Amino acid sequence: MTVSALTRPGERDRLIVKLSEIDWIFVLFLCLIAGAGAVMLFSVAGSSWTPWAANHVIRFSICLGMMIALAMIDIRVWFALSYPIYGFGLVLLVAVELFGDTRLGAQRWLSIGSFSFQPSEIMKLGIVMALARFYHSVSADQARLSWWLAIPALMIFVPVLLVAHQPDLGTAMLILLTGAAIVVLAGLDWRIIAGAIAAFIAIVPPFVIFVMHDYQRQRVLTFLDPESDPSGSGYHILQSMIALGSGGLLGKGYGLGSQSQLNFLPEKQTDFIFATLAEEFGFVGCISVLILYAAVIFMALRTAYISHSHFGRLAAAGLISTFTLYVLINGAMVMGLAPVVGVPMPMLSYGGTVMLTVMIGFGLVMSVRVHRYSEITSGKGSLL
Amino acid sequence: MAEPAIYFEDVNERQGVFHRRAFLLGGIAGLGITALGGRLAYLQLLETQRYEKLSASNQFNFKLVTPPRGLITDRNGEILAANRPNFRLLVARDEDQKPEDTLKTLANFVPIEEPRMKRLVRDIKNAPKRAPVSVMEDMSWEQFSAINVRAPELPGVTADMGEVRVYPHGGAFAHVIGYVAKVNREDIKPTGPNSDPIMLHPSFRIGKQGVEKAFDLDLRGKPGARKVEVDANGREVRHDPNGDIPAVPGQEIQLTLDVDIQNRALEVFGEESGGAVMIDCRTGDILCMLSAPSFDANLFVRGLQGAQYRALANYERNPLLDKCLSGTYPPGSTFKTMTALAALEAGIDPELRVSCGGGMQFGGRYFRCHKKEGHGPQNMRDAIKNSCDVYFYSVAHRIGPDRIAAVAREFGFGQTFDIGIPGQKKGIVPSTEWVRKNRPRDPKWHPGESLSYGIGQGMLTANCLQLAVMTARLANGKKALNPRLIKSVGGREMKRGSDAPDLPFPQDHLNYVRDGMAAVTEAGGTGFRASQLGLGDILMAGKTGTAQVYSYKAGGTRGKGGPGGCATTACSWPSRRSMRPRYALAVIVQHGMGGSTAAAPRAREIMRVALLKDPELVARIQKPLPMPELAPDPEADIVPEAPLMATAEAPPRPASGAPAAAPPARDPA
Repeated sequence: MTVSALTRPGERDRLIVKLSEIDWIFVLFLCLIAGAGAVMLFSVAGSSWTPWAANHVIRFSICLGMMIALAMIDIRVWFALSYPIYGFGLVLLVAVELFGDTRLGAQRWLSIGSFSFQPSEIMKLGIVMALARFYHSVSADQARLSWWLAIPALMIFVPVLLVAHQPDLGTAMLILLTGAAIVVLAGLDWRIIAGAIAAFIAIVPPFVIFVMHDYQRQRVLTFLDPESDPSGSGYHILQSMIALGSGGLLGKGYGLGSQSQLNFLPEKQTDFIFATLAEEFGFVGCISVLILYAAVIFMALRTAYISHSHFGRLAAAGLISTFTLYVLINGAMVMGLAPVVGVPMPMLSYGGTVMLTVMIGFGLVMSVRVHRYSEITSGKGSLL
Repeated sequence: MAEPAIYFEDVNERQGVFHRRAFLLGGIAGLGITALGGRLAYLQLLETQRYEKLSASNQFNFKLVTPPRGLITDRNGEILAANRPNFRLLVARDEDQKPEDTLKTLANFVPIEEPRMKRLVRDIKNAPKRAPVSVMEDMSWEQFSAINVRAPELPGVTADMGEVRVYPHGGAFAHVIGYVAKVNREDIKPTGPNSDPIMLHPSFRIGKQGVEKAFDLDLRGKPGARKVEVDANGREVRHDPNGDIPAVPGQEIQLTLDVDIQNRALEVFGEESGGAVMIDCRTGDILCMLSAPSFDANLFVRGLQGAQYRALANYERNPLLDKCLSGTYPPGSTFKTMTALAALEAGIDPELRVSCGGGMQFGGRYFRCHKKEGHGPQNMRDAIKNSCDVYFYSVAHRIGPDRIAAVAREFGFGQTFDIGIPGQKKGIVPSTEWVRKNRPRDPKWHPGESLSYGIGQGMLTANCLQLAVMTARLANGKKALNPRLIKSVGGREMKRGSDAPDLPFPQDHLNYVRDGMAAVTEAGGTGFRASQLGLGDILMAGKTGTAQVYSYKAGGTRGKGGPGGCATTACSWPSRRSMRPRYALAVIVQHGMGGSTAAAPRAREIMRVALLKDPELVARIQKPLPMPELAPDPEADIVPEAPLMATAEAPPRPASGAPAAAPPARDPA
């Protein structure tokens, strides 16, 4: 296939061409991360495919297929679906506020029959698409500083407050930061950025003291001094750091991590899977996985970079922001640099919802890549 | 379609802003990941050792192992206290399991009654984390294996084999050895050996009485530990035998007691209440120290039910009281030898005769002799032989209480001995000074009191061990022997009782009294019948006494007036000529009606066992010897308060009678 062939009208809409446009190295790296997750899940289950490792592999395979399928969908379809998805997410968040199930003290789950899910996951995708769609239609000046910016502000804060009220502070924070990342990428005035950061710093201490629930405040305080209560709320952080530190350079060996195998490590298969990895494979294993994550992030970022449509750029960059935040927050938490919030390590941790969200996001990123030359007419969608 | 053209400045500007800021975002992401990498390097490369230690202390746990408690043996190595295996069922608190459910499951295998179940649930809930509570002891092998098979499904449940203290001779040694029991809250001290964490171990037992208590630290040993791998819930996952720290067993304690003598003493007491102490006259070793009635110390090891304890505590014969050490009684006529020696010390001529007409008038009161018709004129030798009260009344009156008290103290009255176990009562040795100090309302000594004192009554009290020591010192005739109960601790021999200074009396005075005692058993002596040992030429000498108990306060006896206690002291004389007494014995029988009828026959039985265990004497007995000519004296046993003493005529000492194994005998003067 030559460059001239690709320039032929309609050539880029052929499926085989689209498939070839997918960044297969990127896919390979995703597989490696998920594979590392499966290896660790096999180990923490006491060298057993059940209950986690097999599920993890199956889920990833399905999600990978879905990601490739989503990558085939025309960017203009994504563009047109942006607001509906966001709106749908918002409706569900309101629904969960009214009818949701309470699990572990938080109202996060919506059940339809036997199937239950967290609408906040949809919102993670919805906020990125809706904001990208919005900024696609505004000029640079408007994006920099104008009254139009009240719209993205509202688009961000309504779901954030709804999710925070569940309460799911981790996800609310994630949505807020993702939205903020897009707003900044779209060209927000530096003065506002600086002011927002200053305001944020000013608001955190009173927020911690007056607004947070007891268990949330406890987590924050514990994070500041984990050894103040080693068997209580400091337990998770301390045990995780013990697992990490005792791993050393090369780790204790596969299946030999005493912290995880003997259950000292809490949530060893989900939020703290990275600590298990650190314990059994040491610094070398951890750095390898971190490099894989970095590669995934930069390859996806490059996709945003080369996209010709503003929607595509912002959507891809927004999704990468979400992913990056997952990695950084979970990493910081496991290493004792952040309070314990329920943010898993994407692809590595066991858990269907997050994997689904992330892979759908990567489907969109790949779609941006595949359709990077497609032109989206500003304003109204041309397809829908 | 060509590359999307940039038609507007605006579009171009948007792209430019995005590119710049995406670059920034990438930079932030890169920085974040680098920071994580740095943190990893810090934790995993620099702080490794610290976290490895923390990890190991999570993973490995040393579980305390109770050491085997030291054995207690008699002088010949016969076991008096040992340990036997015990299959136990332990339940620890578990996070995933309610104790009620666990116990209900266990009730299918072992009997757990409803009220006990409630108490156990409470105990388990209150127990410190990971400290198991004993649910059942002494399971059968079937129960043990049934539970062990199911243990993996029952979190917190362990069935293991521990050791439990056992006293094979039951009650015979209960007062001397004492017993062990579960640790009480009061036993645990904030510092010192009783702060050891082993104290909290469910199978640990602490000495509560007697030797078990006094030598608890020697018997205890050092706890060991099992290195086990535990999970976050404290459940044992693996055992690492290479990491174990072996327990150091407790030290063996050898007593000077003799199983056979002690058991025979318990037998001859039957239902009677009293005590018997036998001392080797050459070494001071206590061969027998029995308090009757006794109790089974094994019951205390398991923990006594309230009703069982009350039954023991409320029984009028007081089995829990050690009558050898803690009970004090008026010694009665057994004390007359002391009065006699005091008289000699005071310069009274032993040949001075006092005429006994059956009693004497003194201070408006008539002091009667036990023989109504009177003994006639008596010198000291006769008076000891016949136990003439009138003689001792008049002598005691002449010499006064302080001289008697001084002699009595030299023979061990009014003091305690370092025999290793607590509980000795000093008793009372009255004197003018004592009266001044202890009787403020009537601080003056009344001359009439001297008369009672002279025959071992009145305020004078002594415990059974003191009587035995008196007899042993008198029989030894030279040394102020100290009694010894603990022969060795962990193989280290304790100080011998014969390492003692000489008695501070002229030898001829001591010999005179000893000769007087020997005279008691000549023809016409009162203790003839009970002294018939039937052991060839071995002689037994003795002194009986019957004490009137005037009030409840007078001593440990609880009689209502009348004859209260009676005591016999006896010693065996292997041969008259050599005058080397072997064994001194003091027997007290409460409410025994008379020393010669209650105490003396028992003393004879106990003495026989001791003599038959002495290889040197056995060898001599088995030699054919001429029968001694003896005429029984029927009067001897009908006298209510009479000295009882018998000797057999001694044949010449055989030249080579003693086997090599016999302990070296010392020949006093």
